[in-house]
Amino acid sequence: MDAAIKLVFDILAFASIMVLVVSGLAVIASLMGIFNLGHGEFVLLGAYTVYVFRGEGLPEWSGMLAAPILVGIFGLLIEASAIRRLYKSPITAMLATYAIGLIIREVVRGLIGGQYYSIDEPIPGAFLVGDLSFSIWRTVIIGTTVVVMAGCFLLLTRTTIGLQVRGALENPSLARASGVSTTKLYSMTFAFGAALAGLAGALMVPLFSLSADLGVRFLVQAFLSVMLGGVGTFEGPILGAAMIGSMVPGFQWLREIPGVAVAVSPVFAEVLVFVVALTIVKFRPNGLISKGRI
Amino acid sequence: MSKANKGLSRRGFLKGASALSAAGWVAAGSTWVLKPEWAHAQGPIKMGIATDITGAIAPGGNSNWQVAQFTVKKINDSGGILGRPVELVLEDTASDPGTAVGNVRRLVQQAEVDVILGGITSAMREAIKNPIVRRGKTLYLYPQLYEGQECTPFLWCTGPTPAQQCSELLPYLIKQGNKRFAMPSANYIWPQLLNEWARRVIEENGGEIVFEEYYPLDQLEYSATVSKIMNEGVDHVFNTVIPPGLQAFTKQLYEAGFQDKGGTSSCVYFDENAVNYVPQRELEGVYSCLDWFHTVKDPFSEQLLKEYAEMFPDTKYLFSAGTGSTGMYRGIKLYEQSVIATNGDLARDAVAGALDSASIPEGPGGPAKVVPGSGHVAMNMYIGRAKGGQWDIISEAKMVDPDECGKT
Repeated sequence: MDAAIKLVFDILAFASIMVLVVSGLAVIASLMGIFNLGHGEFVLLGAYTVYVFRGEGLPEWSGMLAAPILVGIFGLLIEASAIRRLYKSPITAMLATYAIGLIIREVVRGLIGGQYYSIDEPIPGAFLVGDLSFSIWRTVIIGTTVVVMAGCFLLLTRTTIGLQVRGALENPSLARASGVSTTKLYSMTFAFGAALAGLAGALMVPLFSLSADLGVRFLVQAFLSVMLGGVGTFEGPILGAAMIGSMVPGFQWLREIPGVAVAVSPVFAEVLVFVVALTIVKFRPNGLISKGRI
Repeated sequence: MSKANKGLSRRGFLKGASALSAAGWVAAGSTWVLKPEWAHAQGPIKMGIATDITGAIAPGGNSNWQVAQFTVKKINDSGGILGRPVELVLEDTASDPGTAVGNVRRLVQQAEVDVILGGITSAMREAIKNPIVRRGKTLYLYPQLYEGQECTPFLWCTGPTPAQQCSELLPYLIKQGNKRFAMPSANYIWPQLLNEWARRVIEENGGEIVFEEYYPLDQLEYSATVSKIMNEGVDHVFNTVIPPGLQAFTKQLYEAGFQDKGGTSSCVYFDENAVNYVPQRELEGVYSCLDWFHTVKDPFSEQLLKEYAEMFPDTKYLFSAGTGSTGMYRGIKLYEQSVIATNGDLARDAVAGALDSASIPEGPGGPAKVVPGSGHVAMNMYIGRAKGGQWDIISEAKMVDPDECGKT
C-alpha cells in the first residue's frame, strides 16, 4: 500500500513537470500552428533567470516569479522580430525557432562556462506522512501545475480573449473581418507560451540543476506528448504530456515485478515509452483529442 | 558566485566561454600556440594538448588546459627542460570524438609535437589514441581517472585506476558497518568496469551487492531506484551516475530520507567541483576517493594551489582531481623527468624507455612513480568525506599500486 501511494505521488510529480513544460509548446503549436523548436531554450531561460537572481543575492523565489514575466517579454520580442515574418511558411518558422534556440543555448553555455549548477528550492526537504516522506518542492510543483492548467483552461473557454483566440484559430480571415487583430493576438499567444516555458524552467530547475542542455532533454518528450495528444486543441497535448509524464517513471517500476525484471532494464523502460506512444499514434494518427472544444 | 560571472559583457562572456583568455596567444588555423617567452638554439620542446575546450565536457577540458599552462609556465620560469623551453600547442577536441580525430592529426602532422596529453572521456581516448600512437608514432599521456585496462604501448595513464579508487575506500566502508551495497550507474564503460572491480572488492571483504543497475545518461526520474534502495535495507550507495542524471538521483535519494535513516553513499569522481552541482546538504557525509583533495595537508600541494589561484584568479576551472587536472600535472612533470633522463633526446623510443621508470618526488597529493611495464602510475590515494562544502580527509594510503596490465 505504501509503495502504491509513493508510486502515485512520484508519477504525479513527474507528470506535472511534463505538463508544465508541454503547456507552453501546446499553446503555440495548437493556437498558432507553429512548432517552436526553441521551446526547450525558453525553458532554459526560465531556469537561468533564477540563477542570475541568485547571483545578485536575491532569493530563489523572486527569480521564479520574475522568470515567466521576463521570458514572456523575451518571447514577445522574438515574435515581433522574427516569427511574425514567417507565419506564411511554417517550416521556415520552425527552422527559425531552432536557430533561435541554438543561439540561446550556446550563449547560456558560455555564460555559465558549460558547468552544472545546483539551484536550491525555496522550500527544501521533505515532509513525512506516517512512514512515507514526500518532497515538498515536488508537491508545490503539482499544486502549481493544477492551478496554472485550470487558469489556462478558464482563460481560453470563459474570457473574451479566449474566444478571440479560438476564433482566430478556427478562421483567421473571418476573425480579422470581425475586427479582431490577429497580429496582436498571435504576439500575445507566443509571449504567453514563452512565459509558460519560463515558469516551467524556473520551477523545475531545483530538481535537475542548471545546465545549457536542460531544455533539450525535455524537448523530444514534449514533442512526443504533442503528437500523442493531438495538435489543434489545448487539452490534447496536455493529456499527452500527462501520459508521457506518467509512463517515464511508471515503466521504471516494471522491473520490480518478479519475472519481468530481467527484461525491463532502465534503458529499455525509456525506449518502451516511445514504443507505446508511437503505437498509439499509429492507431490514432491525429492524436488522442483531434477535435475539441478549444 | 564570483563577480566575474555576472552580467553579459563581451570580455566576461569570452572568459566564461573558455579558458583561451591567457595572454600571448597565436592562432594558426584552428590550432592555438602558446610560445615561450625566450628561445633556444634547438628550438622549443613542443607539447600538444588535445582536450575539450568546448561542448559538454568543456569544464573538465578547460581545467586541464589551465593546469597545462600553469605547469609549463613553472617549467619555463625555472629554465625549461635542460635549457630548452616548452611550447604548448592546443587543439580543441570539442567533446566530440569525430571532430577530435582530425584535430589531433593536425597536432601530429602539422605542429609535429613531441608528446600529446589530453582526452577526458574514455570515448575520446579510444578515438584519439590510434591517430596519435599508431599512425602518428607520438607519445600519448591520458590524465583522467578511468576504468582501467588500457595497455596500448606508448600510451601512459597518469590518473587513478579502479584498483586505486576501490581498494582503500570499499574495505574502509565495510569496516564502518556498511554491509549491503547498491550500485546505481550510468550506462557506459567507466561505471561498468569500475563496478566489476568494486563488486570483487566488496564480496572479498564480506559485503553484499543488493543491485547493480545501469541508466541512460540523461535519465531524469529515479523513483523506482530510490524506492528499492529504501525498501531493501541498503547501507551504502556506491554511486556512478553522472551529470545530468546525477542531480535528479541525489535529490530524490535525499528527499526519501536515505541519509537521515543512516544510509551513506560514495561517488569516486566527486571533488571540489561537486558542491557546485550538488546542493551542500545533499552532499554532506558523501565519501569520495581520489589522488588529491585541496584539504590534504601537504606543503607542496598547498603551494601549487596558491600559485594556481594567482595565475587564474576567480577561475571556475579548478585544479582538482576529478577532472583529470592532477593527471595532467603529473603527466607533464613525468615527461619532463624522462627528457632529463634521456639527456634531451626527444625520440619517441628513448623518452618512452625513460618514462617507463620515471618518478616525481612531489606533486598534487604527493609523489608519483610509473610502475615499469604497466603504463600506469602509483600515487597516494585519499578517502575524503564531504563536510560543510569541504572534503575532510579520512585516510591516506601511500603510493597505491594501479594494478593494471598484469604488472604490480
